[in-house]
Amino acid sequence: MILSPAERSYLYDSLAQSPPIRPDSRSDHQFRPLEAKTAFLPGSNGSARIRLMDGSECIISVKAKVVLASQESSLIECDIDIAGFRDDSNFVSNLKFYLTNLLLHNFPVRYLKLTSRYAFKLFLDCIVVSHSSYPLSLISLTSYLALKTTRLPLLVSDVNDEEIAEQPTFSDDWDNAKYIDDYLKEGETFEPPIFITLGVIGPNLIIDPSTEEEQVLENGLIISFYNNNVITPISNINLATNSNNSNFKGLNRTLITKGIALGNKYCPAIISALNTLIEQDDEEGTIF
Amino acid sequence: MIGNRKRLSSGLSVTSKVFVRSRNGGAQKIVREHYLRDDIPCYSKACKVCHDIIKTDAAGELPRFILSENPSKTKSGLRHYIVVDTNIILHAIDLLENVSCFYDVIVPQTVLEEVKNRSFPIYQRLRGLVKSEDKRFIVFHNEYAEATYITRNKNESINDRNDRAIRKVASWFGTHMKTNHSENDIGIIFICNDADNRQKARAEKIDARSLVEYFDDLPNGEDLRDLIPSDINSGVDFHNENEASFPEYYSNSRIMAGVKNGTLYQGMLNISSYNFLQGTVQVPAFRKPLLIVGSQNLNRAFNSDSVIVELLPKDKWREPSTTIVEESNIGSNDNANDEDEEDVGSAGSGVVSDKERILLAQEALKATSSSAGVQKRLQPTARVVGIMRRSWRYYVGQIAPSSVSSDDTGNASKSCFVILMDKVLPKIRIRTRKAKEFLGQRIVVVVDSWPADSRYPNGHFVRTLGEIESAEAETEALLLEHDVEYRPFSKNVLDCLPEEGDNWVVPDLVNTDDPKLKKRVDLRDKLVCSIDPPNCVDIDDALHAKPLPNGNYEVGVHIADVTHFVKPNTALDQEGASRGTSVYLVDKRIDMLPMLLGTNLCSLKPYVDRFAFSVIWELDDNANIVKVEYMKSVIKSREAFSYERAQTRIDDKSQTDELTESMRILLKLSKKLKQQRLDAGALNLASPEVKVHMDSETSDPNEVEIKKLLETNSLVEEFMLLANISVARKIYDSYPQTAMLRRHAPPPATNFEQLNDMLSVRKPGLSISLESSRALADSLDRCEDPQDPYFNTLLRIMSTRCMMAAEYFSSGSYGYPEFRHYGLAVDIYTHFTSPIRRYCDVVAHRQLAGAIGYENLDLSHRDKNKMETIVKNINRRHRSAQFAGRASIEYYVGQVMKNNEAEHEGYVIKCFNNGIVVLVPKFGIEGLIKLEMLGDVNTAIYDEDKYELKFTDLQGKERRVAVFDKVNVDVKSVKDEVSGNRKAQLLLR
Repeated sequence: MILSPAERSYLYDSLAQSPPIRPDSRSDHQFRPLEAKTAFLPGSNGSARIRLMDGSECIISVKAKVVLASQESSLIECDIDIAGFRDDSNFVSNLKFYLTNLLLHNFPVRYLKLTSRYAFKLFLDCIVVSHSSYPLSLISLTSYLALKTTRLPLLVSDVNDEEIAEQPTFSDDWDNAKYIDDYLKEGETFEPPIFITLGVIGPNLIIDPSTEEEQVLENGLIISFYNNNVITPISNINLATNSNNSNFKGLNRTLITKGIALGNKYCPAIISALNTLIEQDDEEGTIF
Repeated sequence: MIGNRKRLSSGLSVTSKVFVRSRNGGAQKIVREHYLRDDIPCYSKACKVCHDIIKTDAAGELPRFILSENPSKTKSGLRHYIVVDTNIILHAIDLLENVSCFYDVIVPQTVLEEVKNRSFPIYQRLRGLVKSEDKRFIVFHNEYAEATYITRNKNESINDRNDRAIRKVASWFGTHMKTNHSENDIGIIFICNDADNRQKARAEKIDARSLVEYFDDLPNGEDLRDLIPSDINSGVDFHNENEASFPEYYSNSRIMAGVKNGTLYQGMLNISSYNFLQGTVQVPAFRKPLLIVGSQNLNRAFNSDSVIVELLPKDKWREPSTTIVEESNIGSNDNANDEDEEDVGSAGSGVVSDKERILLAQEALKATSSSAGVQKRLQPTARVVGIMRRSWRYYVGQIAPSSVSSDDTGNASKSCFVILMDKVLPKIRIRTRKAKEFLGQRIVVVVDSWPADSRYPNGHFVRTLGEIESAEAETEALLLEHDVEYRPFSKNVLDCLPEEGDNWVVPDLVNTDDPKLKKRVDLRDKLVCSIDPPNCVDIDDALHAKPLPNGNYEVGVHIADVTHFVKPNTALDQEGASRGTSVYLVDKRIDMLPMLLGTNLCSLKPYVDRFAFSVIWELDDNANIVKVEYMKSVIKSREAFSYERAQTRIDDKSQTDELTESMRILLKLSKKLKQQRLDAGALNLASPEVKVHMDSETSDPNEVEIKKLLETNSLVEEFMLLANISVARKIYDSYPQTAMLRRHAPPPATNFEQLNDMLSVRKPGLSISLESSRALADSLDRCEDPQDPYFNTLLRIMSTRCMMAAEYFSSGSYGYPEFRHYGLAVDIYTHFTSPIRRYCDVVAHRQLAGAIGYENLDLSHRDKNKMETIVKNINRRHRSAQFAGRASIEYYVGQVMKNNEAEHEGYVIKCFNNGIVVLVPKFGIEGLIKLEMLGDVNTAIYDEDKYELKFTDLQGKERRVAVFDKVNVDVKSVKDEVSGNRKAQLLLR
């Protein structure tokens, strides 16, 4: 319990108003400000780090390995490590499941294929250094940045190894390594899927609830977004994982429709903000 | 990419390089931090500033300045230093080593590393040049110098980047020399044979020249021009159009994947000595070697190259050729022997998928397993699709007279062919202006390349050894041919010898502070003597024996303590390790260790104190070991006997002194040891060993005899075996993973297949059994031909050739049961008794010293990988020493025969459909008699099942010749005008 009954009541009332009044004066569709840095881990194929204003911080490294495609069950594997939680705790395994599941179903895996036998397998290693609110959207946005900046070495050997086996060889010049985006066809853009969290309070939906807001929410929604559309999975969850929330109640289904509409309306802005961030990120800059 | 520099402290900054390592199909991003410093000097004695910036190294020593302040001049009077490019070093290392050019050379580190990656042997020669300092070579560490380090640009290939780095060195030296010493103007010449690179360099105001341009500007350039290697000889195009076309090799990625999934195989190519167009490759996947027939399938591979092969379809499988094919004379440009012309098209056409190949491999497996009945002689064939490692080295040969046109005048360089001494290698095309001058001389050439569109490999002339058949030229030629290092020991090797030199004496044992000296046992009171061949100077071993009060005997074997002088990790040790063994030629000995050690300090000479490593047993009356001790000792040999003198002394009943008595004890025990060994199944094989007698005055060879063995030979031998076995057990006990041992694998049954088949056809009732060495020895004893006493020896000689070669190994590489020495019938064996002339024994000495706690064993003999390298090298050296020795005997036998033409007895040991091979025991030589020399070629019928050749001889009589037949042959020595080799010419009577 981080709020007293009086505080809870005050916060609930202000958020349930129309329009809601959020304690940090954000509007209902506004994200908390964040700082990010990409491609800063020298040994990784791609990396990103996001820090929120409340000190929450997540680092993701993407490493690519050449595998025999037939021997792998999937070409993406995520691992999540959260400070203060055991790896086998429900909290961590849920987050890991969310992220893995989302990427497995919504990723242009065919571009990871090198030849008929060989493929790149991506390993996402995620560390949440600290967090206060539910970290899924933080992790998801970081994974977006990391995957966007992931570069895969350039294959120089023959692609056709159906008949005669050939071991893949790659250009030794790292500068020749290509972004996943570069492999896509004309007109396609590579935008990995993301999650956003919505808080349900009274008739209102608020994007990216903070810790304090989470304490008084009536419900939480997780919405995934890919290819300019809100997609499944959409799930509801008690975001206040580390305390019991006495306000928690069932979900009004009209709010789901409203949530999807909200997602469709604002997620493109999030994506374009992240893309701009990558563009503006200069390699020479310091890591905050 | 993250190429920005960060200053860490004054004089040191850091940068990082990023690249992709694509190994075994992986793609790993690698980031390396790279440190740059500002205190790397230019090493020029003329420089005024660099002396101020240098700092001491870890050992507190300042770098030495090598480049002369007064370097050599070009014709135009330019004093210059030379910066060399990688391709110059790779292709013209001989020129760099030449004493008449290339002084004051700057080797950029970038170049050194490129050379190292491309060719390790050349890298080592370059290091040798730098180290010796006489040609004033320096390595400039440009990659670590702030002023010369460059980062790779975007989209720049690594080669372009390295070229740029090398040019940067040239331009940096250029400005550095100009600004820092005004009085003598020293220019920098950048020598590079890549026209594009030269152009870029000139744009950067660097004096860049090709090798030819540089030589043209040298006062002695004319003489040097011939030495320029073929493939960088600018503007000269070798190949005639459409002369030949070989299939291209597979790409590396395809080879790697193919070897991994079992459709391609890697192995060493072994060209048949009877047919240069047929080779075999033994690969682990099959029990029998794969056959490679025809020049297209051999695809430019040389003998003993490490090659990648691919199976051919089953309808191309065939029996090994029973025809003798030698490379025909130049000029007669027929390639009639190339049997597979029609294969060429089909081999390349059509894609065979991996699945089909795997099925094919299963077929091949069936065919090579010995149980296959009907088609047992059908062997899977293969073709070469890639070459992993070339075996190219210096080759000795002579210019083919027919390839030099006699009306050739003028100074232009002409291409001509060099026939190599080694018959299994193709002729090499070289370009020279002095072809006529070199006719009739033994010359050394190297191979530079073999492009797919050229029928012959291209090479260049290195130097001449002298007239064909002069003893010096022939000796040097065979040393080169067998890759024996015969140059004198270098200064830094000789520096490792004791300062006292010949005056070295055993120090005082009693009053000493040296803890190791205190551990030595004083055995000077023992009656030690040595028994060796006459005039032996490097005495490795000495013996003593005395009866003990309990009726047993004390027997000691004392081995020269070489490791007292040869400490691990010294230049001396490295030289010994790389030579591996001494090489004994008829008239010459190439030592493994410098003379001083071999013939004096280590040699267990009589009447003086010497350090020794002693093995002392207590043996009972039946020569069973009661106990054994090992110790470092000091001995004093009482006498150095020759085998004959020892024998006479033992046989002389009147001699009853203690020394003679002790030799009699040794003889008695040795006979028991020998009997024990034979009972256990030790083999008594034979090789036609002969000895060449030299005329003592003119040192011309004048007589050949077959070696005789005395009882005393076997006396020494038995105790040496006993010592080797005891030591092997001890070091294996102490170092189970890295003990230096020697094994002799049992011969695979397939080796004896043909011999047994010949026996069953030609000598019914006789056979060689292979269940055990005992059975083999017994069955050999049984194989007697009552009409021909020599038959048994002949069979032993032929059996020896079916045996596996014994090999050194470190104990970790095999399981204990595989340690077995088949020939000696012991479970474990090593070489311990000749450390002066074998490196294995040196290692065994060190390991034994470690095992008895005398001193700590050096890491290199405790590390499995390092032991592997040592073992591999000494096995190779051992083999080439044997071959060199045999070749030397062969040469001298040829010289003897030159004057003694006569008829001798010979035996047919091989039969082909166009010739037979005959062994003449008197000279230990074998020779081929071609069908043309035997009789009418058209009447010949070869019965393969009976190993019998039927033909009408020159007198018109019908004749049959078969394997094992005794024949009379005329032996004479003839010189082959094409190859310059003298060989025994046999003529059937």
